[in-house]
Amino acid sequence: MAVPDEGDDLVRSAIGGDDEAFAEMVRRHKGTVLRIAARFARNHAELEDLGQETFLRVYRDLRSFRGDAPFGHWLSRITVRVCYDALRKRRREEKDVSLEVLAAPVADPSTGNGPSAQLARMILDQAMSRLKPEDRLVITLFELEDRSVREVAELTGWSETRVKVRAFRARQALKRCIGGDDER
Amino acid sequence: MNDKRHDRRDVELDRFFELARQAPPDISGVERNFETRVMARIRESREPWYAWTWRLAPIFLVLTLLVSGWSILFPTVHPADPVGSLASGTQEIALLDYLTGE
Repeated sequence: MAVPDEGDDLVRSAIGGDDEAFAEMVRRHKGTVLRIAARFARNHAELEDLGQETFLRVYRDLRSFRGDAPFGHWLSRITVRVCYDALRKRRREEKDVSLEVLAAPVADPSTGNGPSAQLARMILDQAMSRLKPEDRLVITLFELEDRSVREVAELTGWSETRVKVRAFRARQALKRCIGGDDER
Repeated sequence: MNDKRHDRRDVELDRFFELARQAPPDISGVERNFETRVMARIRESREPWYAWTWRLAPIFLVLTLLVSGWSILFPTVHPADPVGSLASGTQEIALLDYLTGE
């Protein structure tokens, strides 16, 4: 049975070709889309591209939305798919990041000696750029977006086992990057 | 020993994640008028393929001006008396006929 959604009328109007209704949908949901995409974008220009691409796909595929789940869930899945595609494309372009940059020690934040939140995000971004797109997608949704394994599985369309395996591998790789490779 | 090292790394990584969660990326700059830009792109994607051909008009205008300018500056040289030259050609044929006895 279809779940009633507050934006059902809006979605129906947008499917019927009402541009105003679609613009209102973008206005309502842009925050959700941009917040997810921002975890994967390297700068504002890339964030803008990811956001626009997401809504272009939504516009194109709107007729396939059956209302079995809330519109927001469907939209989040498309956003994740767009970001994953971007990660795969970027993987081919990016060069390796030097390990020295990533081997910054992290002190206890309570003492005030550790890196700022901004710096931590920057270091994590650098470290995560070394991961495979699948691993990066999972670890971002799991650790930074604070989603459950089930939610990540729903968003990506992968099995929960696959999500767990990817998250484990990503953690191992990140530990090697951030902590320095002292097992050598 | 090895386990301890792994524990330390896990703690460090968790600390990184915790800090990164505290600093959500700033999206305010992109959020502003975002729907306007999306709608513009959607309208653009809906345009038929020939809708953008009018943008080529300036190129054709420049081409026309260039060709006109060229034809004014470098006119094709025509013979001064085309009828005369035809007639002289006829005379030549008549002379040839007379000499060959035809």
